[in-house]
Amino acid sequence: MAFNFNWSPLTADADFYKRAQEMLTTALNKSPKPPIIVDDILVNELNLGTTPPELEILEIGDLAEDRFRGIFKMCYSGDAFLTLKTRVQANPLNTYLFSKPSFTSPMPLAASSGLTIPLQITLSEIRLSAFIILVFSRQKGLTLVFRNDPLESLKVSSTFDSIPFVRDYLQKEIEMQLRTLMMDELPAIIHRLSLRLWCPEHRAKAEEEEKAKTENKENEEVPVDPFSSPPQDAVDARGNVLDANEISSLSLDGGSEIHSLFSQKNLLRLGALTDSHRTLSLFTPSIRDAVFRAWAGPSERVDSAGASTPITPLVRSHTSAPCTSTTYTFSRSDDGHGHMPSRPSLVSMHSATTGLSLGAGRHSRSHMRKKKNRVVNLRKAKTVDDGASETGESETPGRVASEPAFPTVVSEEPEDFIIEPPKTPSGKVRFRTSSIDLGESPQNLRLSTPRRSALSSKDVPEQAILEPAPMIENAEPAVETVSRNHCHSFSASSYPAEKLGSTSKDAPKAALPISHDPFLSPSPVLTESAPAGGIIEQAWILKMAGEIARRAHDEKAARENFWSSQSQDSTEDSPPPAYEPKAL
Amino acid sequence: MLEFMDYVQQAFYNASRWNSENSYSQLTATARALLEFETPRGFGLSLSSLSSPHFATSYAIGSVGLVDGSLSYLYSSLPLHPPSQSGGIELDAVIRGYRQIQELWKQEESWMWEEWQHGRRFDKRDTLLYGRLYLPQSTLEALYIRRPSPTQQLKLSAVSDSRLRNGGAILALHQYDVGKYSAETLYSTDGGLIGLRGLYNFGADPRNEAREPPRTEDRFYGRFSAGAELYYGSLNKSGGVSFGGRFATLPAHKGTPLTATLTLNPLMGNISTTYAVKAGKNLALCSKFDFNVYSYESDLMLGCELWRMKSKAEKVRERSTAAKLEWRLDDVKEKSPPEPEQVLGVLKARVDQNWKIGLLWEGRAKELLFTLGSSIDMKRRDQPLRAIGLELQYSS
Repeated sequence: MAFNFNWSPLTADADFYKRAQEMLTTALNKSPKPPIIVDDILVNELNLGTTPPELEILEIGDLAEDRFRGIFKMCYSGDAFLTLKTRVQANPLNTYLFSKPSFTSPMPLAASSGLTIPLQITLSEIRLSAFIILVFSRQKGLTLVFRNDPLESLKVSSTFDSIPFVRDYLQKEIEMQLRTLMMDELPAIIHRLSLRLWCPEHRAKAEEEEKAKTENKENEEVPVDPFSSPPQDAVDARGNVLDANEISSLSLDGGSEIHSLFSQKNLLRLGALTDSHRTLSLFTPSIRDAVFRAWAGPSERVDSAGASTPITPLVRSHTSAPCTSTTYTFSRSDDGHGHMPSRPSLVSMHSATTGLSLGAGRHSRSHMRKKKNRVVNLRKAKTVDDGASETGESETPGRVASEPAFPTVVSEEPEDFIIEPPKTPSGKVRFRTSSIDLGESPQNLRLSTPRRSALSSKDVPEQAILEPAPMIENAEPAVETVSRNHCHSFSASSYPAEKLGSTSKDAPKAALPISHDPFLSPSPVLTESAPAGGIIEQAWILKMAGEIARRAHDEKAARENFWSSQSQDSTEDSPPPAYEPKAL
Repeated sequence: MLEFMDYVQQAFYNASRWNSENSYSQLTATARALLEFETPRGFGLSLSSLSSPHFATSYAIGSVGLVDGSLSYLYSSLPLHPPSQSGGIELDAVIRGYRQIQELWKQEESWMWEEWQHGRRFDKRDTLLYGRLYLPQSTLEALYIRRPSPTQQLKLSAVSDSRLRNGGAILALHQYDVGKYSAETLYSTDGGLIGLRGLYNFGADPRNEAREPPRTEDRFYGRFSAGAELYYGSLNKSGGVSFGGRFATLPAHKGTPLTATLTLNPLMGNISTTYAVKAGKNLALCSKFDFNVYSYESDLMLGCELWRMKSKAEKVRERSTAAKLEWRLDDVKEKSPPEPEQVLGVLKARVDQNWKIGLLWEGRAKELLFTLGSSIDMKRRDQPLRAIGLELQYSS
């Protein structure tokens, strides 16, 4: 959990002040002006000062890479100032007549003749204190609302300071105007600004600035962190893998332990297996203690797919984060939301699913690239891997199957998905129940140890085949205890595994979550705050349930396309149609 | 162009022998008519009728943005007989142009209004009631004019509109005019505004019976008037004051009729001068110059109006039957003085230093009185035509 308050970038951008001035000018001139102001109000000077506002996070109700909602308490007592220029009508009789019906006008002959005076007003020593509700979504832009009247006090100095009457009047009038500006106009401005900024997609930086601006000069960089982190992750994973492992590019990840776990033989077998999938050859290499996805019914797949997608993001978050309960992990694609009402049990599930995600990692990355241009690094990694990718895929399954190689939860996962989905309609329910039932199983104990990979490695194969449930349990402990140490390696390994399990269909979904992972890594912040918004959770759950059902339906329909497309494209390039619109 | 109700109201002033021009608020009436005429916006149509000498109605419909309209009724205790058919209304009675101020006349004595019958006085004071309802804004205007005596007039005008503060406003205006001078006091409920206006006419006092014959040999034969106004808003503690003077030639003046005014606003440092001249029989020119001694802002405005006249066709004379019977020609009569020409239309134009141009063409087409106008802003190249409008009036 980290917040990075960036005040200086705002001021550093030369263009920013110009834009802000224009915005303010139009905003000030939009609303009907009092008759005393006879000219346009020009923003002459604007300076945000050097003192940043104090920002206190009261609540974060929703956090994802493309979405954010939170409540802040903002206090500002900095040295920002604003200079306005306009002309005012000095004849009170003139302004008096302005809005009066002519029928009852006294029709003065010349007593109402005007005298316009140029006026320069400087607003300084602004004291703000407000509760801010900030809602951000990539599609709908940024909405900022003040819960209360933010303006505490300000100093108005003008050309008429020597005349106390005028000074008081101006002070009063300007405070009033400013209040309406803050309460009504500012949210609209910010919203427009955000929409304008986010339309072109690549503007992470602009985004940050905007957000900072929008929050009324408070910079909140929660969303920013994720962006910065992902590329690094990708690089690490890919880079390491490549260097360390010649054979399996996928398994790579930081985990040095993992490498040793894969046997050459199994990898080859897996490679043959994937090849057979692609070529439609009927040959299936026998892999011990492995359950093939293809055996499971189509319906299961759908379920598994739905389940798997949410999972992956969680995994990631765990890895990077302290692995506490990940209440909200929203994949960018919205797929995962439904699952996420996250409870600890769910979390465990996700960790378990990590295994599945292994295979998907590939796809996800590829999708990532398409959807998100930001993750440049990933792309490169891919290109590098391309040659290996196919083999990698084939090999990844090897892990799952191979008893000695990767005993981790991963291997279990595929089974779990395959077997369980048909029984329980909703992924959540299933997961919970499983976790609950199995929670006490001995395996948990085993897994709970940080070295679980080593421990479980032997056991896993059996469990995986026989009992789907235990796997889940395993996952739980992993999350709670193990994950801290091994999170990173674990997650990395998980991707390939998932790929196997999910196969082509899962892959697209998995892809999304993975892409999120980097972004989600900061998510821990959110997760902690999340408990606060219980109501929100419920709403989410409901909404997501509907969403998931719809997704599943879509997927089913599109599945066959996927298969074909995957075979052709080697699964990397074409995202499933269902996802494309979301790819944003 | 005056609306029909204003036309009837003017007829009421005439019928009750009230000199509405002899007021400080009308000091610059000529310049206002030539320079500050309103250009119509959108399309407007009004149907009016003076159904009886005491009662007039008018319905108006307009399209400014959306359709709106108004209903108005007028009652006058004094029988009014102005020409009310739009085909017969004298255009110069409804078009405000160069205003030739008239010689002052002696107001009637109040006893002249007394009517006695059987030892009891039964005369009534002339009153005018007028109401107008605007739809769909639901704005109501009401006007009450009463002539308590030949030298006084009381005018109450009220507006009711929910959008106004306090739901509306009432203006009470008391006018006292003895010809030589006039004074007005007013009070408005809006802001508690109190106002005083006075106008003094230099020269002969019309109340004196002995009237000197106009000395037409002077280069200028005219009248100088001076006045002042003072306002004080009792609720908002604001005020205003202005002084003004006017010199205008009288009808007996042989040369070019002209009107010049100067108004000062000492509080705001505003000086305004206007000069209007009736350069020809059909042409009037006017200029206005404003200057503010505090802000050094100035404003210049020029305007003109052009009257298009049509002389009535002369009757073709025929020999009278009597002359034919007697086998002789008609007696040769000296030519009767030419009848005053009829006004066909008026073109008004104004331009100010910001190149804002206003154009107005008023006239009569068949039985309809029309006003066609446009305002143009030459500074805005992209869209110079700011407004254009046409108003039609029909009355019977």
